Amino acid sequence: MIPTAALILFALALPPVIAFHPYYLYLFGTAFLWASVASAWNLLETAGQISFGHAAFFGAGAYASSLVALRTNLSPQLALLLGALVGGVTAVPLGLASHVLRSASLALATFAYAEALRVIARNWDGLTGGGAGLIGIPPVDSAGGRAEGYYLSLLLLVTALAVGRAVERSRLGLAFAAIREREDRAQALGLAPTPVKLTAFVLSGGLTGLGGALYAHTVGSIQPDLVFGPSFSLLPLIMATFGGIRAPLGPTLGALVLHLTSQLVLHPLLPRLHQLPYALALIAVALALPKGLVGLFMTRRRPA
Amino acid sequence: MSLATFAQALVAGAVNGCFYALLASSFGLILGISRALNLAHGEFVVLGAYVGYGLWALTGLDPLLFLPFAAIALLPLGLLWARMLAGLREPVELQSLVLTFGLSLLLQNLMLGFFRADYRLLIAPALERSVALGPVHVHWGRILLAGISLAALLSLHLFLTRTRPGRAILATSLNREAAALMGINVDRMTSLTFLMAAGLAGAAGLLFATVHYVHPAAGMELTLLAIILVLLGGVGRLLGLLLGGLALGLTEALTVALTAPRWRELVVALFLLGALLARPRGLIPGRSQ
Repeated sequence: MIPTAALILFALALPPVIAFHPYYLYLFGTAFLWASVASAWNLLETAGQISFGHAAFFGAGAYASSLVALRTNLSPQLALLLGALVGGVTAVPLGLASHVLRSASLALATFAYAEALRVIARNWDGLTGGGAGLIGIPPVDSAGGRAEGYYLSLLLLVTALAVGRAVERSRLGLAFAAIREREDRAQALGLAPTPVKLTAFVLSGGLTGLGGALYAHTVGSIQPDLVFGPSFSLLPLIMATFGGIRAPLGPTLGALVLHLTSQLVLHPLLPRLHQLPYALALIAVALALPKGLVGLFMTRRRPA
Repeated sequence: MSLATFAQALVAGAVNGCFYALLASSFGLILGISRALNLAHGEFVVLGAYVGYGLWALTGLDPLLFLPFAAIALLPLGLLWARMLAGLREPVELQSLVLTFGLSLLLQNLMLGFFRADYRLLIAPALERSVALGPVHVHWGRILLAGISLAALLSLHLFLTRTRPGRAILATSLNREAAALMGINVDRMTSLTFLMAAGLAGAAGLLFATVHYVHPAAGMELTLLAIILVLLGGVGRLLGLLLGGLALGLTEALTVALTAPRWRELVVALFLLGALLARPRGLIPGRSQ
């Protein structure tokens, strides 16, 4: 396991060294970025909480990091960490709301929360630049290349996967699983669900905020309707469920497949329909592929 | 704010409120019969609007003549949705959100492909005529919108409470097993409900397009409005939907009048959060998740 992972990481570290075209570094960098956000979404899902509003954390991280980098001399790399912090803080109200809201109600609440933040970001002109958003966000790459952004995205993905794995193997991971499977029973056995769910929200929100911040410094501009918008809430949900939520690398797989299909195949051919693979993937998961792509590779056990 | 502006806002809010109730009634029909939250409901409405717009642009006749066509055009989608939502895993509410979110995105993309992102409005000189109610001037189109919405709600109420198929639908919504044991063909009632809901949504879309600009992404907000009203008013309680619609419509209109139009969407998001927190037990009281 460890040698394989090291080998994969080594291979993934190569492209900038062997002078890949900057566009491909950008493309794969953003694919890793979305893979990390999808993994962060999945971390919350392992605690039984389905979010339809991850754009709230993504957008908050993007705006926090961009604003600090634009208005102070703080380096983008340090501003990213602030994005993570703000993403985590943004998740606190929803973590507390999970005390009373379950399942579909919580999912709708996360969606409404992201919508509220989107409208505020669009209308608070003095702070956020209004509907036009922010431009000229300092890039993480000083030399105008894409290598540093690529490595940071890769680092973010490794971090998200490592956090997921560490949680899974800890007492906290057991608590997540207990709440996911039977919250009332977990509670009856003496587990307080709300602090556990709050922790899941803050961890997931922090990682997603970091992803949003890195996105802002990679793309260079952000608009409220995009970074706080419904489609950015949907992407991690679709990627994670399409890849497979019960496998550690499922969300990564789903993100890479969908992002690359959308960007490499549909964007050049049918630019107006580039979201189509996401819609079809989600429908496929709900109707036919409950375990996601990963489920296709697992041995099927059919009841006799 | 002058008294006239205030009165104008009240009328506009009340008109929208009646329309919102119509919107929510078809959303609530589906939720009641199948426990499914149809996040693509707004797209049904927008599709109905495009059907109406297309026929009107083609023929130039009075748009309201096409109400039945907008309703009929949506019927196949109703049956398709009934089939797809019947196969969902537990918990149905959550799984339906996932599936219909995908369907909503699919419809949005297809509409974007077919109709482009332009904003469209059904304009008929007859609907533009202004009527003076004391200090308030209202477009005839808005009066028709409110009137048709109320008439449709009343007909739906009478259908559900006074006719055999309507009562069978209500019974199936309340308790599917018991209804089946009483000899009601619950599958047929489910299909009928989906057909009615899709037709109502399509017709509502045409009405919507006479007052508001329509574009492929307009559906999401309409869906949110429907969810809010169903949370506030309760599934199948049409008077509750109407009161909820009026509350939301008036709050929106007053917010716009007192601040700026751009804050209207915040009212919708906050209403949804508030309605969810006010009804933490979920959308269908009396049923476990």
